[in-house]
Amino acid sequence: MSADSPTDRVGVAPSIQRLVRNTVVAVSGALSRRDGQASLGVSGLAYYLLYLAGLGHLGFGPAGYEVSVVSNPLIHAFRQVGPFQWEPIALVVVGQVELLVAPLNMLLGAVLASLVGLNLAVSVVAWRGPAACRLGPGAGAVSGLPGLLSGVACCGPTILLVVGVQASAGLLSLFQWLLPLTVVTLFGTLLWVGSRVETP
Amino acid sequence: MGLSRRRFVATVGAGATLGSAGCVGNDGSTAGSSTASTVTDRNDGSKPPTADSRLHLDYEIETLEENIVSGGVRKDGIPAIDDPTFADTPPEGLAPDDPVFGVARDGEAKAYPQYILVHHEIVNDTIAGDAVAVTYCPLTGTAQGFERGPVEFGVSGRLVNSNLTMYDRGTDSWWPQMLATAITGPLTDESLREFRVTWTTWDRWSSAYPETTALTEDTGFQRRYGVDPYGQYNEKRGYYSSTRTLFEPLHGDSRAHPKAVVIGTRTETGALAFDKEALLRQRVLTGRIDDTPYVAVADTDLETGYAYANPESLSVTASDDGYTIGGTAYDADSLPMDRALSFDAMWFAWAGFYPESAYVS
Repeated sequence: MSADSPTDRVGVAPSIQRLVRNTVVAVSGALSRRDGQASLGVSGLAYYLLYLAGLGHLGFGPAGYEVSVVSNPLIHAFRQVGPFQWEPIALVVVGQVELLVAPLNMLLGAVLASLVGLNLAVSVVAWRGPAACRLGPGAGAVSGLPGLLSGVACCGPTILLVVGVQASAGLLSLFQWLLPLTVVTLFGTLLWVGSRVETP
Repeated sequence: MGLSRRRFVATVGAGATLGSAGCVGNDGSTAGSSTASTVTDRNDGSKPPTADSRLHLDYEIETLEENIVSGGVRKDGIPAIDDPTFADTPPEGLAPDDPVFGVARDGEAKAYPQYILVHHEIVNDTIAGDAVAVTYCPLTGTAQGFERGPVEFGVSGRLVNSNLTMYDRGTDSWWPQMLATAITGPLTDESLREFRVTWTTWDRWSSAYPETTALTEDTGFQRRYGVDPYGQYNEKRGYYSSTRTLFEPLHGDSRAHPKAVVIGTRTETGALAFDKEALLRQRVLTGRIDDTPYVAVADTDLETGYAYANPESLSVTASDDGYTIGGTAYDADSLPMDRALSFDAMWFAWAGFYPESAYVS
């Protein structure tokens, strides 16, 4: 187990410090290995693309090459259009790939993708070599779920069309909370991993 | 790779010209994408012109107000086009069979492509010197026009019966588009002045109005205009053909497919719906609002229909050169009767708002 001594004999602050330190150890350990790095890169990139596609900001369209920018991009960039969604300021078309550039959404997507990637990297390393980096074997069982959750969160009500569920006030309210819930859950699973790490 | 439909890096900075040139609307009001972040603050008390009498409602105003739901976006999260630009040639993304919403007023004709309006829902425009709003709700399949006077309309982000709920930027009253009647705010219980918007195809509209201009993609916003988040019309797919609705209707009615298109008309006393497919096939349909007979005739050129009050129960027959009444031939849009404003709508939406409406097929 994670604790070297009973929890009730240490304060809250030292416990949190230990948790964070252990998490850093777990993440560092995972990222020091090639399979951990690969997991971070592949899952992070995949999630990032999924997030942008879910927003409708990335997809395929008529072939061409174009970069067009709105007037006053700064004003548009901070104009919120929905929960955790901001106005695109540019359209980039390369071949048949279309990308709407909404800087705050791209930043948010990068944060989410990094968290998903780190969770999966630690999980893969834990699964493949728990003895080498001293991670508990159950570390990653839960970490993939928040990624799926946030994938739904980014899509908003249009996902309901796909799954065939009728929208309701409660369901739409839930959508507003999915993304922050996902961030909290992703951090939570990372810390949970930390709690499973045995440190010297 | 096929021929490019887009210009190569041609539009960098183009929006700057649009934005700087178009910040003042033709009606003198402040408008434009450059002020997009503050549009909700423009509540100066100006009012849109309203009709002399209120349109019929099948529900109490309070009931409608209680059924306002969030559409999942913020106020103005779907941005109205406040500085529309038009061209003599159609946008590259517009195919001949794609739907457009046509407006012809006082010798000026304009086409608003559905594929652009699905991302904006409202165009605050000026046609033949008149300040108007051309509006479209994708979820109810309704395109309607309103006089707007000195104010603009915006998208509230709320829905009633799946229908776009507009707000006016003068009084912040909320107007479900199909009802054209305010259900919250200072103008509650008043109805807007409406005008005809024709749902047709670009090919048909441009043939009927060769001098027409068409709304361009230079809207002041960046969107993937080739992508309709709900489905597709040119070969109907997705939401537009599915039996499912995104929100529960105010009233369920199984007399027709939920997404069947009706040409609906409503007056101060009631509402009436004609099945569009049946009208185009039979060319003449009749119905009643209260005790008043109505007749609907098809315009086969534009693939649309017109409804007329026919209190004298005149006999209308389809002929090769239009419609015959008392031995005289008339075009579909100019029968010698009082034409009632009518528009296309998905059946579920019409029946939801007007459960007491007759359905003629």
